[in-house]
Amino acid sequence: MKNFIANTKVRGLALAAIAVFLIVAPLVSSPFMNYQLSLVAVYAVAILGLNIVMGYAGQVSLGQSAFLGLGAYVAAYGILNDWPIVLVFVLSCLIPALVGMLVALFAVRLRGIALAMVTISLPIIGVPLAKRFSEFTGGSQGTTVSWLDAPDWSGLASDQWRYYIVFAIAVVLFIFGRNLTKGRIGRAFGIVRTNEAVAMSMGISSYRYKVLAFTVASMFGGAAGFLYIGIVQYTSPETMSFHNSINMVVAMVIGGSASIIGTVLGAAYFVFLPAISGQIDPTQTALISGVVLLVILFLLPHGLVSLPRRLIQLIARARQKLNRAENAGPEDAGPAQNETGPVSAHTTTDVSESHPESPSKNT
Amino acid sequence: MSLLELDNVGASYGAAPVLHGVSFSVEENDAAGILGANGAGKSTTLRAISGMVTTTGSIRFDGRDITGMRPDKIARLGIAHVPEGRGTLGDLSVRDNLRVGAFQQRDRKTVADDIEYCLDLFPNLRARIGSNASTLSGGEQQMLAIARGIMAKPRLILLDEASLGLAPSTAQNVYATIGRLRSEAGVSMVIVEQNAALAFRVVDHAIVLETGRISLQGPREKLMGMDEVRRAYLGG
Amino acid sequence: MAYFIQLIVEGLATGSIYGALALAIVLVNRSTGMINFAQGAMAVLATFVAYALTESGTPLLVAIVVAFVFAFLSGAVVERVIVRKFEGGDPDTAVVVTIGLLTLFTGIAAAFFGYEPHPFPSLFPAESIDILGVFISLRSLGTIIVLLLVMVLLQSLFRVTKMGLAMRAVADNPQSASLSGLPVSRLLMIGWGLAAGLGSIAGVLVAPQLFISPSMLDFALVYALAAAILGGLDSPFGAVIAAWTIGIVENLAGAYVSFIGDDLKIAVPFIMVMIVLAVRPQGLFGRKVVVRV
Repeated sequence: MKNFIANTKVRGLALAAIAVFLIVAPLVSSPFMNYQLSLVAVYAVAILGLNIVMGYAGQVSLGQSAFLGLGAYVAAYGILNDWPIVLVFVLSCLIPALVGMLVALFAVRLRGIALAMVTISLPIIGVPLAKRFSEFTGGSQGTTVSWLDAPDWSGLASDQWRYYIVFAIAVVLFIFGRNLTKGRIGRAFGIVRTNEAVAMSMGISSYRYKVLAFTVASMFGGAAGFLYIGIVQYTSPETMSFHNSINMVVAMVIGGSASIIGTVLGAAYFVFLPAISGQIDPTQTALISGVVLLVILFLLPHGLVSLPRRLIQLIARARQKLNRAENAGPEDAGPAQNETGPVSAHTTTDVSESHPESPSKNT
Repeated sequence: MSLLELDNVGASYGAAPVLHGVSFSVEENDAAGILGANGAGKSTTLRAISGMVTTTGSIRFDGRDITGMRPDKIARLGIAHVPEGRGTLGDLSVRDNLRVGAFQQRDRKTVADDIEYCLDLFPNLRARIGSNASTLSGGEQQMLAIARGIMAKPRLILLDEASLGLAPSTAQNVYATIGRLRSEAGVSMVIVEQNAALAFRVVDHAIVLETGRISLQGPREKLMGMDEVRRAYLGG
Repeated sequence: MAYFIQLIVEGLATGSIYGALALAIVLVNRSTGMINFAQGAMAVLATFVAYALTESGTPLLVAIVVAFVFAFLSGAVVERVIVRKFEGGDPDTAVVVTIGLLTLFTGIAAAFFGYEPHPFPSLFPAESIDILGVFISLRSLGTIIVLLLVMVLLQSLFRVTKMGLAMRAVADNPQSASLSGLPVSRLLMIGWGLAAGLGSIAGVLVAPQLFISPSMLDFALVYALAAAILGGLDSPFGAVIAAWTIGIVENLAGAYVSFIGDDLKIAVPFIMVMIVLAVRPQGLFGRKVVVRV
């Protein structure tokens, strides 16, 4: 109990510290850094969606970039046509959600690899489609939007203003995502992921929940697309490319599957790894990324978010070993010694009379 | 020196212990039975011998310590484990299943002769030689599994519930063949059976497992005469 | 009509490249139950080895053989060192592992050779022959013939040799196979090695046309996946037929359906996959999972 109080206190303090940092950071760092941090928020939303469908509901999705790109196109088109901004945001979420739902209605009947196949085809079809409908998308050139400049009264630079807007929306979406995954629906996702038979016996329709997970994931993807237009002010078919999808999956696993904090860590990794390795040698990014992912899979299967837990575990184990070595006394009795039932103490007659040898074997 | 010696063998699946200090031995050309109720640890004993579960204690085969060895290495030493139920390779033809059994034989002629021998032992298989194993009936699959074991020319066969799910006449048939195999090929056997009456047609002696421990052991005649064995395993 | 036949032959040729990669995917899937998303990237790295060798003056054929051996070894090592730990585990994790391999192999190729495409010499002359008024390029023809050869060789490996028998047994049931003394872990390594070797064949066949770059086979991989799924994932024959079908249909649709055109023809195989999966989730040639007694 004491522990619990201490934990919530620590947690509260940590949250407050993070909040202060997030509020102060854009005021003191460079426009480039603000841009990067804002991108983390954008991709955190997209990866949160991916995590909901893949981490929480256990359905492979390699198509998240398609929803991000679609949301970005909708947002860009709406803004260029002077639609009310709230409507643009809602449409940026709803249209990808609708597309995601339609795909899911068919695709979630498949499992594993077939599902991966269908989802990976979304960005692959999406890119040429985006090029084709150039009156909406600007074709291969992409489409540029200049908006979301800081109003004069705020006294902020545009990068700071955009940062605050994007972070505010991202935080709201994260609270929504957290409540969703911690609540009844999140538990249902967990059951569908671990055992569909159990889900069925509990009256949970895994079909419906899988469709729901895909729909929510696509909606988050679309919302991230809206935010992307807010920060980058430009989108092209490249945003949809399946490399982007794959890198998001990689980032999600590195951050921590089925974890909200892991999602944020993953997004930070997604944005900062190319930025950092780009300064050394951009051709090394993929190599580093692949090595990091494999190392994580081997050593930290639950992602970066599990690092503290894992360290504590390792330290505890080392300590135990140390203690045991110090005691060097009688080993504690393992569970194997438990009597599991009454054993009849009959005479166990030993039979070891030798049999006549006949070494011939069948040929 | 015995062919197979188990000394204080324990085994567990995850945290659940299944075997506790089981010790027995099987001589060359000897057939031992393992009897017991469901969950007593009969199959686990066989799995321990063939290296399919992690074990404690020591298992020696032909004087050599095989505890903790990989299953394929143990098989190459001359132990053929015919597992319970699905002992065949379903996507492979009957002939290919037999060829897989003979994987360690180098000489093609011997393999061909051995296949003939198996088809003599189990004539039902002859007509199905080109069919996929998965299309065989339960009895035929059991026969194929045993035949695949024989193809390896093992010194010891571990036979797990060969009568399971078979019609009584088929089970009789299978055990008659096992008996014939014993007298002709001189191969040693460890036979796990719930149907003790069938097992007693072949084995010389047996152990009775109860919740992972040996509760009784002795020669066939002696066990068959004991009231508790008759009641529990021979149906009266 | 001549144009139509030309389109079909070209479709068969591109289909053959998807087919080689699809065969690799099926091989890995049959032996370890995994889908290797890195199959293309591994092939590209092997093709780069051939590229580096030809650049330094090695005859093309020798370079290709070395690339095949390199691919075989890298596949075997990857299985032993990285993949082994995740076999038989959570399938989603397995997908992520091979995605990690995809990133890794792309990364290795990029670190050594950069991202710009390089020209790659072809085994076959860039000429066309005139057969009854139909111009057929020798490259297309050569590609188709190589795939046919590969199929015959694979088929004989699996049907005739003892190792092929053992590999089929392990693919069917590794545990049961180990009870017959089959060296399961070595056979799994060989399976991955063979798959990677097949991939390298696809790589050297397609490189003269696409130019070699780290992401050269990204799209081919997705086509190959589509072919493998259409073909039923456990059927090598089905995978190749599906790959050819995809190659031909895509080519014809791109040429004759004006809405699709050259840019959207990539969508065709996926639409095909979706339709087929909606009707037959086990693919065209896959068997329903048999529940055994």
